[in-house]
Amino acid sequence: MATSSSSSVPFFGMGREEVDEQMKQQSAAIGVGVGVGGLHHHHHPHLHHHQLLQHSSSLLSNSQLTTAGAQQPPPPLSAASSAAGSGPPQPKKKRNQPGNPNPDAEVIALSPKTLMATNRFICEVCNKGFQREQNLQLHRRGHNLPWKLKQKNKNEVVKRKVYLCPEPTCVHHEASRALGDLTGIKKHYSRKHGEKKWKCDKCAKRYAVQSDWKAHSKTCGTREYRCDCGTLFSRRDSFITHRAFCDALAQESARNPTPSHFFTGAANNMTLGISSSTAADILRLGGSTGQFDHLLPPPPSLGAAGGGSSTTTATSQQQFRNQPHLSPSSAAFFMPQQDTSDHHQSSYHQPFHHALMQQFSSDPNNAGGAAANQLFNLGFDSTTTNNNNSNMTLFANNNNHSGGDHQHQMMMMGSSTGGSVPLFSSSVHQQQMNNMVAHMSATALLQKAAQMGSTTSSNPNATTSASLLRSAFAAGPNNNNNQKSSSGEKQPSLGTFGGSFFGDVDTDNGSSNNLHDLMNSFTAAANNNNNNNGSSSSSNNKKLTRDFLGVGHVAAAVRGIATTISQQQQQVGAALERSSSLDSERNNNNSMGSHSSFGGNPSFQ
Amino acid sequence: MSLSPGLGSPFPWLRDLQPEERGLCLIQLLHACANHVAAGSVENANVGLGHISHLASPDGDTMQRIAAYFTEALADRMLKVWPGLYKALNSTKTRSPSEEIIVQKLFFELCPFLKLSYVITNQAIVEAMEGEKMIHIIDLHSFEPAQWIELLRTLSARPEGPPHLRITGIHEQKEVLDQMGARLVEEAEKLDIPFQFNSIVSKLENLDLERLRVKTGEALAVSSVLQLHSLLATDEAEVVGRVSPSAPASKSASHNNHIQKFMQMNQHQKTLGEWLEKDVVHYHCSSPDSALSPLSLAPSPNMGTFLGAFWALSPKIMVVTEQESDHNGYSLTERVSEAMNFYAALFDCLESSTDPRASLERQKVEKMLFGKEIKNIIACEGNERRERHEKLEKWILRLELAGFGRVPLSYDGMWQANRLLQSYNYGGYKIKDKKGCLLICWHDRPLYSISAWRHRRQ
Repeated sequence: MATSSSSSVPFFGMGREEVDEQMKQQSAAIGVGVGVGGLHHHHHPHLHHHQLLQHSSSLLSNSQLTTAGAQQPPPPLSAASSAAGSGPPQPKKKRNQPGNPNPDAEVIALSPKTLMATNRFICEVCNKGFQREQNLQLHRRGHNLPWKLKQKNKNEVVKRKVYLCPEPTCVHHEASRALGDLTGIKKHYSRKHGEKKWKCDKCAKRYAVQSDWKAHSKTCGTREYRCDCGTLFSRRDSFITHRAFCDALAQESARNPTPSHFFTGAANNMTLGISSSTAADILRLGGSTGQFDHLLPPPPSLGAAGGGSSTTTATSQQQFRNQPHLSPSSAAFFMPQQDTSDHHQSSYHQPFHHALMQQFSSDPNNAGGAAANQLFNLGFDSTTTNNNNSNMTLFANNNNHSGGDHQHQMMMMGSSTGGSVPLFSSSVHQQQMNNMVAHMSATALLQKAAQMGSTTSSNPNATTSASLLRSAFAAGPNNNNNQKSSSGEKQPSLGTFGGSFFGDVDTDNGSSNNLHDLMNSFTAAANNNNNNNGSSSSSNNKKLTRDFLGVGHVAAAVRGIATTISQQQQQVGAALERSSSLDSERNNNNSMGSHSSFGGNPSFQ
Repeated sequence: MSLSPGLGSPFPWLRDLQPEERGLCLIQLLHACANHVAAGSVENANVGLGHISHLASPDGDTMQRIAAYFTEALADRMLKVWPGLYKALNSTKTRSPSEEIIVQKLFFELCPFLKLSYVITNQAIVEAMEGEKMIHIIDLHSFEPAQWIELLRTLSARPEGPPHLRITGIHEQKEVLDQMGARLVEEAEKLDIPFQFNSIVSKLENLDLERLRVKTGEALAVSSVLQLHSLLATDEAEVVGRVSPSAPASKSASHNNHIQKFMQMNQHQKTLGEWLEKDVVHYHCSSPDSALSPLSLAPSPNMGTFLGAFWALSPKIMVVTEQESDHNGYSLTERVSEAMNFYAALFDCLESSTDPRASLERQKVEKMLFGKEIKNIIACEGNERRERHEKLEKWILRLELAGFGRVPLSYDGMWQANRLLQSYNYGGYKIKDKKGCLLICWHDRPLYSISAWRHRRQ
């Protein structure tokens, strides 16, 4: 697993090591200890990190003891037995999938008040309250009061209990999605439906659950996320950024091992000695860091991971080994977060990032909002590639949905919905992104535009730099109002888009009308013989539609774009298929055209 | 009736454009629009911007993204014709330095440019400082400890033993310098290098040379990463005041006073500024007395005095990284098309190097770094325009004029830079040697230049 290979690398001395150790333990506890508590992990990855942050998640199991409604059967569970009961017998047992609680389990619904009640067990002597009866009993011992810990009745069949979220709108309000332990549901309720009363002093984070807050406060500014490659990050976003590279790099380097021997061989040379160490540093940073880290600690793994790399790799390995204090620090080079995060995070990084995240996920247009959330939780899930995968599929699904919703599905034909899913874009943009199949870099486009600029300048029609565009759009001249008035009522339609955007517009009209006229020329049909598409004018709607598409052809030709005819044909086909929608669009345009001409040309209607 | 009802564009065909067509369309529209803005025809520009807005998008493909930022910049410029309107619209805009720093960091992470610059700079410093026992480095924009940590490590491994090292960091934000200092001191302790960090909280143009505390006997190195061009702005303060009197000064009042004082005090420097702006041919026939007047750094130094002052400190090495583009022309349309080419390449870099998962960061860099620069190049004039990137030839002339001699960058630096690119798996980048200077290129387009200089005896 990822953690096991990476966590053995010493990084930043003991302090960090301990933190890592802690992290590992925690994640182990989650993985193994709390079978039921982990029930909702897959569904709510964002809960995951809360749990990860909990210091001893095994405490969760204690909560199964008491505090249920009247229907709760008496048999109490000791912490140990519940752990044994809910914990998976074999370490490899899968967690319960969300929405699949044990059908035999008893479903318990609690009122919010009962659920959130704290310290329900009061000591009659000192009035101290306890959340659990067992704790009260232990406390009573101190007062020399009679006390009794409940024992598990061996004869009694322990029935599993699942708990519903009291919030009716919550998915966990459904019996089928009930959560498996009481503390879990409490925390869920607080986190999801409660007030976030706990604010971190160092950063802007707020928590609804005190333990979350405590856990955060302890690590705020110090927390590090470890990539499989061994690099540590204190900020999730930088970690994610890194992961983006690192994954690619891991795949890449798996194929061809980095030629690390290139410089190690020259280590004797004085100057090269210097550069070799820096180069090694750089190499480490680069994310081939990962390679070294994997290679580093256990010699056997060298053979495995290093694969084909020769003995020179071994020397480099030794080099790193001999200077263990260097290797961790060198990894810090160009991983700036790591360097400064301690200071930065508390002061501004986190808050800003947080704000930005919120901004993004609260964007109503943002189809990827949920995905974004997922993404950011991914940071906490670094250790399991499993989660990676599930997240990725989630993105893909998202994409498919938005694509399906989109009117112009045909435009998406042939586009791949694979890894290049834009996260933070609306569906429209997703479509645009998907259109990027035949993507051209902006640089290439500019070059092309420059070339075309020279070719089109020979075009007699091209008078301004926008001429290209104008010809492409079947330029409508500035006098199209008059022309329009002479043509039929159905004239202003999709037919052509008079596109004399700029330049010669202001010749005939007063400047106050300019904008209007421009709109006219843009939306209304330009029926004139001066432009490239002079033949397009007709009062027939259908004809006009065809002409529009014809314009497309001409435009493409004029622009010299190597748009394949087939694509255009596709468009034609699609356009015909969508004739109904075109009709409506046409109507829209109709009204628009008439409206816009209203100002300039009252005789129109 | 609105032009953009409900689902975006009223012109479905605009949406259905192939990306390539759309891109070309955008380029055309942008050029046309820039012409209108330059000609001051607000209405035409307005219509043009409206059209572009149907096609541009800050999270579309690269061309759409670029177009979004260019339209914003053009609109910003147009709006400045009405200073009241402009100010009102920006009245609640808060400038957050911390956010800017984050974006710088992101840029550092997402693109290899800063890393490359640091590696090459450090290599040049290390080579120049060979055998030196007392080294003083002045970092003109001190925000990234990684650069100096790397240097510390390299120096600690020197065969002749580590030197006494002092780094003077200049930055506007005290916190940044504090963190920087703490981090570097920590690292130096770890490596057991005698080290001192000297922080100067100041803008570069207001830098007080006294505070650099350059001592005799120490070998001085200067590192300027994407900083020098901003000094060209003050050169032009008055000239531009004449050119576009309507340009509102959104700087603080004190700064304005500053400029005025500077203009009163340094009439002769204004002419130097004009020279520097004019064709480089003039450089040779000019006698750069004012540029070389040492240590008399005016409160608002222009490029000449700044370079002169640094020349007088006789650095053993001064490494200058600059954007390789000409964004300092008078003509707006030229600047627009230059900037379009330059930032197109940068956006392409981001497009190629960022995983979609990192798109949040990417957008941040695009918006808050590139977008801001674009806005500055296009919308600002005079002292406000800080992003006066110039090409290497001009820098060479300017620096030689100021008495610096070129130090050819070694093969080692280039080799390390290439290694860095390889190790990060950065594809498409190239390092080219040009007259002993290095150009960092995206494919064949040079984007950044790095040159090394030293005090040359006159």
